[in-house]
Amino acid sequence: MGEAIVITSGKGGVGKTTTSANIGTALALQGKSVCLMDTDIGLRNLDVVMGLENRIIYDLVDAAEGRCKVRQALIKDKRFDCLHLIPAAQTKDKSAITPEQMKAIVNELKPDYDYIIIDCPAGIEQGYKNAVAGADQAIVVTTPDTAAVRDADRIVGLLEQQADLASPKLVVNRVRSHLSSQGDTLDVDDVVSTLAIDLLGMVVDDEEVLKAAHKGEPIAMNPNSRASIGYRNIARRILGESVPLMALDEKKSFFAKVKSMLGLKA
Amino acid sequence: MWKVRTSVEKVMIMAQALEVKQMSTGPSKNFVTIKGTKEGLTIFLDDQCSYETLTKELREKITRDKQVFGNGPEVDVQVDIGYRYINNNQEAEITSLLEEAETIRVKEIRTEVITIEEAKKQAEHTALTSFARIVRSGQVLEVKGDLLLLGDVNPGGTVQATGDIYIMGMLKGTARAGIEGNVKAVVCSAVMDPHQLSIGNTYYYAPERHEKKEKGPLFPEPVYAYIEKQNREITFEKTRLLNQFKRQTEAEERVSSGE
Repeated sequence: MGEAIVITSGKGGVGKTTTSANIGTALALQGKSVCLMDTDIGLRNLDVVMGLENRIIYDLVDAAEGRCKVRQALIKDKRFDCLHLIPAAQTKDKSAITPEQMKAIVNELKPDYDYIIIDCPAGIEQGYKNAVAGADQAIVVTTPDTAAVRDADRIVGLLEQQADLASPKLVVNRVRSHLSSQGDTLDVDDVVSTLAIDLLGMVVDDEEVLKAAHKGEPIAMNPNSRASIGYRNIARRILGESVPLMALDEKKSFFAKVKSMLGLKA
Repeated sequence: MWKVRTSVEKVMIMAQALEVKQMSTGPSKNFVTIKGTKEGLTIFLDDQCSYETLTKELREKITRDKQVFGNGPEVDVQVDIGYRYINNNQEAEITSLLEEAETIRVKEIRTEVITIEEAKKQAEHTALTSFARIVRSGQVLEVKGDLLLLGDVNPGGTVQATGDIYIMGMLKGTARAGIEGNVKAVVCSAVMDPHQLSIGNTYYYAPERHEKKEKGPLFPEPVYAYIEKQNREITFEKTRLLNQFKRQTEAEERVSSGE
């Protein structure tokens, strides 16, 4: 019996879809069977990030309304056999589906997968309610800026009211070490202390993510990027491994390393 | 001062005279007792007999003793009705009966009884309600009486109370104390860094973000916010001095209720 995890944030543009795609990919890399689900009806793009947009025949709304079987709406990933995607409809809007229909679809898929990753649309309206309806776990994505943290806080408050949902976990996306260390943005500690939920991981701001999205290849596939390592660590933590947080400060000089090893202030 | 004392003495003498009279008519009808006390003249009304019996005796007594009160200065009296519950009409009737003796002015009717509604209201307004939670963005936590929050108020979250607010955490959102007009309410927080704070109808807005020079909260140590009387502005003071403020407010209340 699989676990359904909703990826949400409240604010738009903080990287929900990128995070969904990469956590899904990283879990698949670990050999787990994963189903990605795009619930952003009317503005679908998880298929684009995954590079699967050409293969869509049926979508989530078709499955919900019984025009096709849920299995027919599944798209197999080109890289992994164990990674599937249910795309959102592009022609309808959020009210085309109800939380009950969503729950039914998730429950139908659960026995066949280890993880179902639900990509939630921005906002706290119908689309959010649909996405959360079938979930067992929630991951809140935020970036280290005041507005995103405010919206994440709102979402955490709403998720806490959901009785059948485990307490949400936090992913801080697009962390820029040089800005937060100078006090120009919030740092990860500020975000965690404000939201007061468990930190599942952080992902540094990395140009490679943009390039990968352009190619339709999730960054988690690239083992050399720092963002990729961030996502892979998150996947390992979801699987129950304890992985230390990545050090933020980039390449220290040899001398600084020796100094910090000796316990002197680097 | 001298004048007051004489009037009290006078009352005492009158009360004594009345009691002597009562003795002579027999103790069987003794539902109305008039006594001189430190605060002046108090009329005790029996709370066990029927209301009709009571008003009857009261009427008799007042007409009979009119001449006792008849001349002399006007006297403020307190009426103590013990454990009897009277409604507004009955209260008016008793007052008018007593004030038939022209020199009596009913200052206050004291009772040991209040309705459940009043009791609940009183309990609400003096109660301290505590919560262990985080008040997140978009959430409003409101109580009647005082509020004790074990947790933070995040930016965008609001706590409000008709009385005081005590926060054992960080206040980073909005706090409204004394929302029904209690200007003596305080907002107390372990870490005070609010967006906005209000007491009664007085507001405090945090300095703009770009004006803040240093990172970190507005106050690094526990403080409380109160309305400073001279400028009617919200002012912050260290929490360890809250007892002085409380003592001062209590003293002021005692003075104002004693007048």
